[in-house]
Amino acid sequence: MTDDVKVADKTDSLTDLKETDEDLRLPSVVEPAHFPVETIDTEARHQTPAVGQRATRPDGRLHGLGQTKYIDDITFPNMLFAKMKRAGISSALIKSIDTSEAEAMPGVAAVLTGKEIPVNSYGPSYQDQPVLADERVFHAGDPVAAVAAVTEQIAEEACERIKVEYEPLEPVYDPVEAMKDEIKVHPPHSNIYATKRIKKGDLEKGFAEADHIFEGVYSTQMIEHVPLEPHASIAQWDPNGRVTLWSSLGRITLGRADIARTLDMPINKIRIVGTIVGGNFGGKNEITTEPALALLSRKTGRPVKMVYTREEEFIASTTRHPFIMEYKTGVTDDGMITARKVRLVLDGGAYCSWSETTLGKACILSAGPYNIENLLAEAYCMYTNKTMTGAMRGFGAPQVCFAYESQMDEIAHKLGIDPLELRMKNAFHEGSASPTGQVLQSVVVKDSLEKAAERFGWKEDGQ
Amino acid sequence: MRAFDFVSAESADQAVSLLSEHGPNVIVLAGGTDILVDLKHAKHDPDVVVDITRADDLKGIEVNDEGLRMGALVTHTEIMDDPYIQENFPALVHAAHTIGAVQTRNLGTLGGNLVTCVPSMDSGPALMALEAEVTVAGPDGTRRMDLEEFFVGPRKTVLEHNEVLLDVIIPKRNLGKPTDFLKFGLRKGQALALVNAASALWVGEGNTFKDVKISLGAVAPTVIRAPAAEDFLEGREITPENMAEAGRLAVEDAKPIDDFRASASYRRDLIAVLTKRTLDNAYRLAQND
Amino acid sequence: MTDVTLTINGEERSASVPPETSLLRLLRDEFYLTGSKLGCDVGDCGACTVIVDGMPVNACLMLAGQVDGRDVVTIEGLATLEDLHPIQKAFEEFASLQCGFCGPGVIISAKGLLDRNPDPTKEEIKDALSGNLCRCTGYTKMIEAVQDAARILRGEKEAA
Ligand SMILES: Cc1cc2nc3c(=O)[nH]c(=O)nc-3n(C[C@H](O)[C@H](O)[C@H](O)COP(=O)(O)OP(=O)(O)OC[C@H]3O[C@@H](n4cnc5c(N)ncnc54)[C@H](O)[C@@H]3O)c2cc1C
Repeated sequence: MTDDVKVADKTDSLTDLKETDEDLRLPSVVEPAHFPVETIDTEARHQTPAVGQRATRPDGRLHGLGQTKYIDDITFPNMLFAKMKRAGISSALIKSIDTSEAEAMPGVAAVLTGKEIPVNSYGPSYQDQPVLADERVFHAGDPVAAVAAVTEQIAEEACERIKVEYEPLEPVYDPVEAMKDEIKVHPPHSNIYATKRIKKGDLEKGFAEADHIFEGVYSTQMIEHVPLEPHASIAQWDPNGRVTLWSSLGRITLGRADIARTLDMPINKIRIVGTIVGGNFGGKNEITTEPALALLSRKTGRPVKMVYTREEEFIASTTRHPFIMEYKTGVTDDGMITARKVRLVLDGGAYCSWSETTLGKACILSAGPYNIENLLAEAYCMYTNKTMTGAMRGFGAPQVCFAYESQMDEIAHKLGIDPLELRMKNAFHEGSASPTGQVLQSVVVKDSLEKAAERFGWKEDGQ
Repeated sequence: MRAFDFVSAESADQAVSLLSEHGPNVIVLAGGTDILVDLKHAKHDPDVVVDITRADDLKGIEVNDEGLRMGALVTHTEIMDDPYIQENFPALVHAAHTIGAVQTRNLGTLGGNLVTCVPSMDSGPALMALEAEVTVAGPDGTRRMDLEEFFVGPRKTVLEHNEVLLDVIIPKRNLGKPTDFLKFGLRKGQALALVNAASALWVGEGNTFKDVKISLGAVAPTVIRAPAAEDFLEGREITPENMAEAGRLAVEDAKPIDDFRASASYRRDLIAVLTKRTLDNAYRLAQND
Repeated sequence: MTDVTLTINGEERSASVPPETSLLRLLRDEFYLTGSKLGCDVGDCGACTVIVDGMPVNACLMLAGQVDGRDVVTIEGLATLEDLHPIQKAFEEFASLQCGFCGPGVIISAKGLLDRNPDPTKEEIKDALSGNLCRCTGYTKMIEAVQDAARILRGEKEAA
């Protein structure tokens, strides 16, 4: 990302960036508040008797007996099985969808396309994802039709017989490339769909005070959660016009509102039974197939179940954002950080999902647990024609941690300072302020660093 | 999975006639650890699946006049548990142990591994270094060939649709030949080889290399021998330097590619190192005899 | 259709299923033994592990027709009405399972090990569980639980 000055110009001139915190000038260390800091005993094991105790799980016995009922273990009389036809092309206009051959197959109870969905969009923050793509395909894992049949096998074969005519469009996969907006994933909208900027102190002054400037670009890859239990749900539409959904969804209240919106019906007609989740890790925090299953159940009058295949877990569920992270850090000869400038580009994939939340947290944490007086952190979340990215353990924190800690090591190496020492010099302490001005309490960064170093013999082994 | 018919063979002969009867769109099913995965991903759409797991004449491990015979249906676990193999061919035990995990090794067979014929197969290198032969049964009887001849290309052997692999034989002259196998995967379990390698050797007079056979996997379209390295070593003194030189020459014998598991250049480094180490380990084994 | 008669957890069961039915589907869909889980369906995750003729295998990689006449033990066959199996007890006590989805497979693999090797080393336990993926708990507590269960099964320790 060295030669894309143009891109930087462009994003700098974006009018929708919030500049209201322009004058925010926060000192990096603030007097600790009087309450409750003094009353907190930082020795963790004094705080609660639970720490250090062995706890058993109330549901552990059923798990071990194989008696826990995950969705796929639940069956209803007369139940149908659904499968989805996936686009297999990452950007295209849909010219036509011919489902006649699938519908004519023995054992097929119903076929559903996007046109039949009352409000064909959903999402936990922006509603930018079609339940079933009907006009345009945004990534290869997009479903374009759903089939309910008496067996999974028939549903799968029926999907193969659905004919979709596409007009291929040029896709954009590289998030930095996507910043140029030459190819738009969701026209007419910009690919930059969320931004955040945090400013503190005086960046220029900070860099002027530095004896050394370190610059680096770090990147992380896309990661799938791989819960052992794939996404699954069952829908049952009853003759009173109410629908019950059994789902492996982690946030049922939010999901319920999203489903009500897509089905254009009052929320009180929707009941969600959140079953025991066989692993979530952030990947099951939003609805996926539920609205389509509800409508298939309405069409057939029968309960309908769908379980993702392992392949669908990878192509059609959310993943962890790949990040491209530019870091510029000013350091004095003795290793004190005087200024840091960070630019994060998040590859958001085709839909927002929890990108906004990830972006925010990543941006706030991007400076690391260090006292830095002069800081500018900017983050951009980009649409690309890839599997969408969303929440995953840490919401962006692991990615930036990789970047700032990598750079800390580079700094230590270059300046000949012990890497532990460098961190100790700059680390947060009781009463430090985070980049957004939060006064931190119970700060044990230094204690834990020291303890860890002692335990694995850092000092003896040297570097 | 798509629909197919399922029939079971009680013997190799019956398997051959069932395959001929239902062919050509038929498939042999042994442990299923390769073929069921392919069937689920619709890579094959056979009319009939012929299960051979009940064919007792394809089972068993024994030493006979010809050498060590392992039936095609011998599982990787059976190889690991066999006292004769444990005693005489630790490399075969080790190779079997690196395949998948317990569940895969309990189902997966030696025959299935060889017939699937992926370049990274873990049964291949040690057997090839031991100059193993295979017996193939078809409608016109049986034929015997070297393992190298049996492999044709990636996922391709000499087998016709109505032939089965009967057994694998390590010739008598190589019984107890000091052999070592090493696999480099990204994890200890459930990982395919980035490169695997085996070396077999006798120690000749004056501490020299004798009848050295080196075999490499995941570095060419099939498991291969490394003739340049072998020729170099023959008759030379056994030294670390010569082993290292053989490692370098083995790289020339191979044609590794870039793929999602590793780059070609990483594989080249691995070839040199694994060749050297297997030679060294095989030599140590020879000294302990 | 393929007709199969087999012993499941000591009981003879029969079914007539399409030939492409896997052992896992047979157990789950025909006999409603849903303890064995479908995680990947291609032998990688081990959530479907069952014991066939004494050996732990991936139920997703066998066809129903292949188990005709054979002996299958699933997670449902371990506990009695009176008591949990010592491995199940240890997994509960050590909190070795979180979401639990991998649990039945892991416990069956552990049983397969202890049936053959009553006093395994830590390395042997790791090897025996290497075909079972867990995404929540990690393996430390599982290994501790297997060691504890082994002690109980060997009679060196009283069951809690
Ligand atoms: C999770 C997992 C991990 C794995 N890890 C490894 C690994 O680390 N290393 C490795 O090498 N492999 C690995 N494999 C691949 C596989 O387990 C082995 O190749 C195994 O030995 C295949 O044997 P099988 O009996 O299961 O073959 P099957 O799947 O039954 O058959 C494989 C092929 O061989 C044919 N076939 C089988 N037997 C005969 C015969 N006697 N005559 C003619 N044709 C025959 C079948 O028609 C089919 O085409 C792994 C597989 C899985 C699922």
